[in-house]
Amino acid sequence: MLDRLPTVLADLEEDEVLEIVKAALAAGSEPLAVLEACQAGMTLVGDRFEAGEYFVSDLMMSGEIFKQVGLILEPLLEAEAQVSGGSVVIGTVAGDIHDIGKDIVVNMLKSANLEVTDLGVDVPAERFVAALRETGSPVLCLSGLLTLAFDSMAATIEAVTEAGLRDEVKIMVGGGPVDARVCETVGADDWGADAQAAVRLARDWLESGSPA
Amino acid sequence: MTDTETLYEERRRRIEAAIAFEPVDQLPIAYMGMAFAPRYMGMSIADYCEIDQNNTDVTLAALDRMGADLWDGINAMPCGRIVPSLTSLWLSRIDSPGRELPPDSLWQVHEEEVMTPDDYDTILDRGWYAFLDEYLPRVIDPVELRQSQEWVRANIDPVKEQCRAHGYVPISFGSTSIPFEYLCGGRSMGRFFIDLYRDKDRVKAVMDEMLPHMIRSGISVARRSGIPAVWVGGWRSASSLIAPRIWDELVFPYFMEITHALAAEGIVSVLHLDQDWTRDLERFLELPPRMCLLNSDGMTDLRKARELLGDHMAFMGDVPSNLLASGTPDDVFEYVEALIRDIGRTGLILCPGCDVPINAKPENVVALARAGREFG
Repeated sequence: MLDRLPTVLADLEEDEVLEIVKAALAAGSEPLAVLEACQAGMTLVGDRFEAGEYFVSDLMMSGEIFKQVGLILEPLLEAEAQVSGGSVVIGTVAGDIHDIGKDIVVNMLKSANLEVTDLGVDVPAERFVAALRETGSPVLCLSGLLTLAFDSMAATIEAVTEAGLRDEVKIMVGGGPVDARVCETVGADDWGADAQAAVRLARDWLESGSPA
Repeated sequence: MTDTETLYEERRRRIEAAIAFEPVDQLPIAYMGMAFAPRYMGMSIADYCEIDQNNTDVTLAALDRMGADLWDGINAMPCGRIVPSLTSLWLSRIDSPGRELPPDSLWQVHEEEVMTPDDYDTILDRGWYAFLDEYLPRVIDPVELRQSQEWVRANIDPVKEQCRAHGYVPISFGSTSIPFEYLCGGRSMGRFFIDLYRDKDRVKAVMDEMLPHMIRSGISVARRSGIPAVWVGGWRSASSLIAPRIWDELVFPYFMEITHALAAEGIVSVLHLDQDWTRDLERFLELPPRMCLLNSDGMTDLRKARELLGDHMAFMGDVPSNLLASGTPDDVFEYVEALIRDIGRTGLILCPGCDVPINAKPENVVALARAGREFG
């Protein structure tokens, strides 16, 4: 039954996904196995997005389905049974309250089995620094839709440097107006043109071990 | 005729020729911006937002200061207060400088679900305007909105005259959009995009109910202003955001209906399209020929657009806002030179993509226009 789950989720068949999940659990499937099948479905969604077959609306719908599955599985999953692929701190920088792009990235990171600390929108530099300290996360994602966000991104990266964390943390920037020029100007390590690029960057950095 | 009037007429003919895809004596250059002008002229953003007349005065003063010889026209005539106007277009709550925000900060749109699924039924059962009467107080003080709209109605002609006196042609005035954009703003992008999958038939029925009002709104604003071009905006309905099967059903047919209805009245649709629409450019051949202006923001591939659309429609764009904010004058010159070289001088109005951002470097905005004069 779980064999079909990745494809059905990737096809965005919400009702069928939820039916399969409930039926699988009722038939004795391990919640972790169900979660992994759904994560495989989200990977397929990401592949289709990269191939140009899927678009942002598809990412958002898949994120919604994944969230619905999460509501069913969460009470059944023991925290220690979930092995995380690493942790990431993310937020929309100070002065900018846009969260759509950031939320899509959060969903994709979570479905890629990463532990995500989402600080929300209009986040001051010091909150990013505090979150990096608290979580020990080696990856920071800064989002912004306004061109005004560039200054806040630069200020946040400067604050991370002043806190002595810059060598331990890889920083990516993203959002509508962000490109390679902006990335260089604000002093980030890299930038993501879309949610899938952000996931790939985070995974690469986390898998490479020491970001420094 | 005074020198300014002669200049104005020259510029008007140049712009009309570009829209009609006829040869031009030189490339027309248009300004498009909101918060940049007050920042550049030392006016607080709060004053810009709160005082009706300031939008016109400060925009014209900014253009004069950059160089009155540099600009032929203005995309979207600056008239009246920005926040009420954006609120009624996006159906979203907007925080204002000097009120919820510090006086010199940019207004910010709240991305939140204000319109509920029950509101779909209100539109279907009681109609669009009954819904608006009930809905708008959730996002703006209705007295303030009415006062703002009354000011605009009473001042269209004086503002047109002001633009004329400065020699700048108002290329368009007023806006409408496809039902998708209004609903997306009210519902929030996150909720609305899910509605498109879960509740598509009901959303479509709502859009069909709304469409005649969107058309009437575009026609009436053009008639009132006497400026025969109206914005028909698209931002969250962009091809890069929406799955093709949804775009084909809930986005493009509505652009078709609106642009053809406006064209039948002699009104040009300024397709102010943010984001990337490249995937579906070929469909634009179905829009009325030479009665639309593709007004893109640097994300849509205009080279491919020219290849696919030929002389079917002129373009207005598309120097990206991030280039104006973070690039150098040399970068801007390079961009404009390549754009004109690749797109050609006919059927093009050089313009900032979307708009000049508040933190654009003034030297970059001037470089945009100077490059247009040099290469155009």
